[in-house]
Amino acid sequence: METSVLAAANISAMALAVIFIVLIILIFTIKLLVKLIPYEVPPSSKTPRRQPAAVSAGGDHAAHVAVITATLARHLGKSPDKLRIVNISQP
Amino acid sequence: MEFSFSASATKILTTTGVAHLQGGDVLMILVAGVMIYLAIWKKFEPLLLLPIGFGCLLANIPMSTMASTDGGGLLNFFYQGVKHEILPPLIFLGVGALTDFGPLLANPTTLLLGAAAQVGVYITLIGAVLLGFNLHEASAIGIIGGADGPTSIFIASKLAPHLLAPIAVAAYSYMALVPLIQPPIMKFLTTEKERKIKMAQLQPISQTVKILFPVVVTLVGCLMLPGVAPLLGMLMLGNLFRESGVTARLHETSETHLINIVTILLALAVGSSMTAESFLRLETLKIILLGLLAFCFATAGGVIFGKIMCKMTGGRVNPLIGSAGVSAVPMAARVSQKVGAETDASNFLLMHAMGPNVAGVIGSAVAAGVFISLFGDTAAVMEPHAAVADIVGAAEPGADAAITKVNSAVAQVIEALRP
Repeated sequence: METSVLAAANISAMALAVIFIVLIILIFTIKLLVKLIPYEVPPSSKTPRRQPAAVSAGGDHAAHVAVITATLARHLGKSPDKLRIVNISQP
Repeated sequence: MEFSFSASATKILTTTGVAHLQGGDVLMILVAGVMIYLAIWKKFEPLLLLPIGFGCLLANIPMSTMASTDGGGLLNFFYQGVKHEILPPLIFLGVGALTDFGPLLANPTTLLLGAAAQVGVYITLIGAVLLGFNLHEASAIGIIGGADGPTSIFIASKLAPHLLAPIAVAAYSYMALVPLIQPPIMKFLTTEKERKIKMAQLQPISQTVKILFPVVVTLVGCLMLPGVAPLLGMLMLGNLFRESGVTARLHETSETHLINIVTILLALAVGSSMTAESFLRLETLKIILLGLLAFCFATAGGVIFGKIMCKMTGGRVNPLIGSAGVSAVPMAARVSQKVGAETDASNFLLMHAMGPNVAGVIGSAVAAGVFISLFGDTAAVMEPHAAVADIVGAAEPGADAAITKVNSAVAQVIEALRP
């Protein structure tokens, strides 16, 4: 029994080491891939978008747009100037 | 041939299931009833517990030939998919098609949390040996801590097929109980300040990286641990269907119809292995107990490593996401989100927890690969055709001679072409 427990402990230590080695290799591979192929913002459509009537109507909609923009900006950690709400649809 | 009324009646009576019903069968039918009850009325992993419970019910009806051991029976055919390790990899294909590895790619260090959570596997392995199981059986029991049903079934069918039923039931039952098992451990091991940590927004990842990722993981994982190729290979193929963007039909089939069909076959096959002889044993109670131990230690391992990462990054990692390293996608990630939100309602950990959560799937597959490397049948690997000869039949007698002739002809041509 004692030998088996010792063998189990040895196997456990070695197996955990193998798992960490394999996953650390993966971490470095992923980091290399992300560095070599950085994210690029997809190009926006060349045809100018029409401003939806609902947004440009002002009043309550303008207030909604302001609130949503501020919330999104805070959540995404970006400047509100970089966000543009183009459509609000209600169910 | 004449039949008297009494002889016919006696014959019919002796061939009914009731005449052969024994105490063990009745008890197992009750166990099946409990599983069906838990699935339907308590919503405990219903997609799995319901067919497993019904398979168990069918298997324990005497004379029905629906047990996995009844050669020629319907569920015996389904069981071949488990025995020959076909169904678990197909489930992984569907899981890969369903999984978005984006959060993991955005924060690859969370792979370490998926590795740390495998601690539960190995502590349980030692515990199982202490309780009298041999190393093969202990490894199959330990993998329950990976919180991954297909991996548990895959390893159990390879290393300890006689323990398949209790291992599968323990794995799926505890996966259903993740929302109950994990929170007390997570709260016990973390301070309120740690639980309130808000993590930085994940960076977007290039689609090319998402496409290359499954190929890279397959190469790295399978070159280092070839035994894991059926599981990891299928997982990554499913993900490649998803990310490549050119196989919409295959992706859709994998994540819906295929995984549903295979789930039915796999769960019925597991249920059919739950006969009184294989299930009503002291070992089953030990496995159920060890399974709980495995989940608890896996959760603790993930959270403790999360705390280490928190310290090393100067408080930028919330340790609660470590518990998601136990796999059990996506339930474990939801638990991280829920426990975090209980402390601070404005803290959104779900996407951060998805990283270690999917890392846990890879981690448990790698853990399985280590067991296969250590205890797998290497002779069968070296002679793959021998392993399937009983299914597909031996090669035609003339085939070998024909191949030899072709080889010698090719050798002659090469010789003739030499200057």
